Amino acid sequence: MILMIRMMNKQELIDFEKELVKRYLNREIRSPVHLSGGNEDQLIKIFRNVKPGDWIFSTYRSHYHALLKGVPRQWLLNWVLDNKSIHVMNKEHKIVTSSIVGGTISQAVGTAIAIKQKNENNHVWVFIGDMAASIGVFQDCLKYSVNNKLPIKFVIENNGLSTDTPSNEAWNMSEEDYNYQLKKFSEEFPECVIYYEYKRIYPHYGVGKRIDFETGRIIKTG
Amino acid sequence: MVSYKDEIIKAMKYLAEKPNSIFIGQSVRFKGTGLYWTIEEIDDSKKIETPIFEDIQLGISIGMALNGLIPISIFPRMDFLVLALNQLVNHLDKFEEMSDGQFKPKVIIRTSIGSVKPLFPGPQHSQDHTEALMKMCKNINIVKLTDKNFIMEEYKKAFLNDKSTILIELPDLYDS
Repeated sequence: MILMIRMMNKQELIDFEKELVKRYLNREIRSPVHLSGGNEDQLIKIFRNVKPGDWIFSTYRSHYHALLKGVPRQWLLNWVLDNKSIHVMNKEHKIVTSSIVGGTISQAVGTAIAIKQKNENNHVWVFIGDMAASIGVFQDCLKYSVNNKLPIKFVIENNGLSTDTPSNEAWNMSEEDYNYQLKKFSEEFPECVIYYEYKRIYPHYGVGKRIDFETGRIIKTG
Repeated sequence: MVSYKDEIIKAMKYLAEKPNSIFIGQSVRFKGTGLYWTIEEIDDSKKIETPIFEDIQLGISIGMALNGLIPISIFPRMDFLVLALNQLVNHLDKFEEMSDGQFKPKVIIRTSIGSVKPLFPGPQHSQDHTEALMKMCKNINIVKLTDKNFIMEEYKKAFLNDKSTILIELPDLYDS
């Protein structure tokens, strides 16, 4: 049973990731970490509508989603220190992630179908990056979900980057056109799609400094 | 004589009787593939007809399994199952490992090696990838149904087992 707990505030979210930076530089994490940052306000607003029994499907960058859903800080810290940041999974809080781009989108649709079949009253929230939102799997899943009136919300988190490649460059589009196309999903299907833009403050993975894991010496910044 | 196909039909009826089972895939509600005739008598309320989007179909099957259903996900030919390798190899096969045993979505995958008689369907409709799948999947049972006498038993095992199972049928034997 999940009890209602106080949602983390903006500073607590930021501080959690800062602690991971410290732990990473202290060589306590020996796996890629994809830190969240820069989208605290948008996520806090979205999570005000997420119920404890709802499902969360996310990506390799999922720390904020997990914390805001109610996963205890210490549980997540232990999970990351156990080198599993890239796929945070928590059954009690119904959190499923994948380190493959777009990997959980269709799974989220399946869970929403099961909710409908079983006449449950909870909801599915699936968080995806902008590149995942601009490829076929999202567009097919959105179409299928809308047509079947599934209890699902797709949240497009547009930071304009796929790993560290400007997404619009990969599509050979202007940034303005690229953003417009993604935003349009939320205007066309407001019942199913939430869209926001933000500026990532950490690199694709890591903390912005490369360290020699043998000596702890910082060997490269950026 | 009870044929291979009769045994498949019997196994499908067994699965259809289970309250949480659901058949999903292309041509599960409408004729169009050979496998349809083995589930023809199953009520439409137990079936979800999908667009032809194999990887999404398997992802949907995984998602349904995460929330307590037991999907029988049908890929009429193994050539088509190959299109779902992302969800099969990167996800279904790895869920238990990635979640430290918290999530064990169970999907029963039904596929076949395309028949080559009396019509040869060409290289894209008759491939046998059984060995390749066995090498790629560490945690999914893979069973080729070569003997009609074990069809019912294997489908029962797939239902009762904790793990996901791929059952590979041989339509060339359907009438035998």
